[in-house]
Amino acid sequence: MSTQTQPRTGSNAQQQQALDISTLPVEQLSQLQQRLSQELEHLSNSHARLRAAQARFKDCIRSIKDGVQGKTAETPLLIPLTTSLYVPARPTKTGTVLVDVGTGYYVSKSTSAATTFYEGKVKDLDKNLSDIERAVGAKNGDLRVVEDVLRGKVLAEQQQAGQGGGGKDGEQGIPKGK
Amino acid sequence: MEQDQKKLQGLSETLQKFQDDLQTAIEARQRLESQQAENKAVQKEFKGLAEDSDIYRLVGPVLLKQDKSEANSTVDGRLDFIGKEITRTETRIKEIQQGSEKKRVELIQLQQQMQMAAQGQVQS
Repeated sequence: MSTQTQPRTGSNAQQQQALDISTLPVEQLSQLQQRLSQELEHLSNSHARLRAAQARFKDCIRSIKDGVQGKTAETPLLIPLTTSLYVPARPTKTGTVLVDVGTGYYVSKSTSAATTFYEGKVKDLDKNLSDIERAVGAKNGDLRVVEDVLRGKVLAEQQQAGQGGGGKDGEQGIPKGK
Repeated sequence: MEQDQKKLQGLSETLQKFQDDLQTAIEARQRLESQQAENKAVQKEFKGLAEDSDIYRLVGPVLLKQDKSEANSTVDGRLDFIGKEITRTETRIKEIQQGSEKKRVELIQLQQQMQMAAQGQVQS
């Protein structure tokens, strides 16, 4: 959930950038580019993790629907002891499930209440996901602008070096000069 | 000249240490924030529960049944603690940032001095 703070810091950097991006030297521009790519990667990772979490909650909803609701105590279930070892068992209590609400707390809920709980989680994650998507879009835009400016600067420098035949970046100029 | 080199190295080492400290402090704050978010979610969930609902707490490998009021006060206490820790970490981050900024200015000044000295030698 710490990802929620990301968009805020992102828009901050954006504001600072808008002021002086074209006046920055090439070196700082490429640093900026690097930082933006890193932030973008971080955001995409968070996005993927949230998606995975959402999929898990959706799995829980499906499990309640398919495995618990409408089944009686007679219905045999295969209970996984490890990921590859199962034992057949029958639920002693149908209609209620134990839900992990976080930080080590479990609450006994009716199946419908549990479904509502998980649906709420999925909806919360949806909101976070769209926040992150927006942030990724904005960052992508920033990155493109920085890359454009950087490319323009490098090209201009190369041209200058080619014409002047001197300076510290004059390597391309040397063959012409000789 | 050699003295300056040594000083420069010392300065950049302290600066590096500041950066590392800052990194750990920021990571700690992020961890605290995610714990805070999780506890808040639990607190919210408890608020919406009926008085007589069964709450269990995972202690090692067993689930222990717990009173709602007890669970509530535990979570409130945790949130209180986490909030305090966050403010503590914030001040620490600020301190580190200030210290590192001071060292950075010192470093840049020393570099400029050394550059000037080097230029002076070349010219004379």
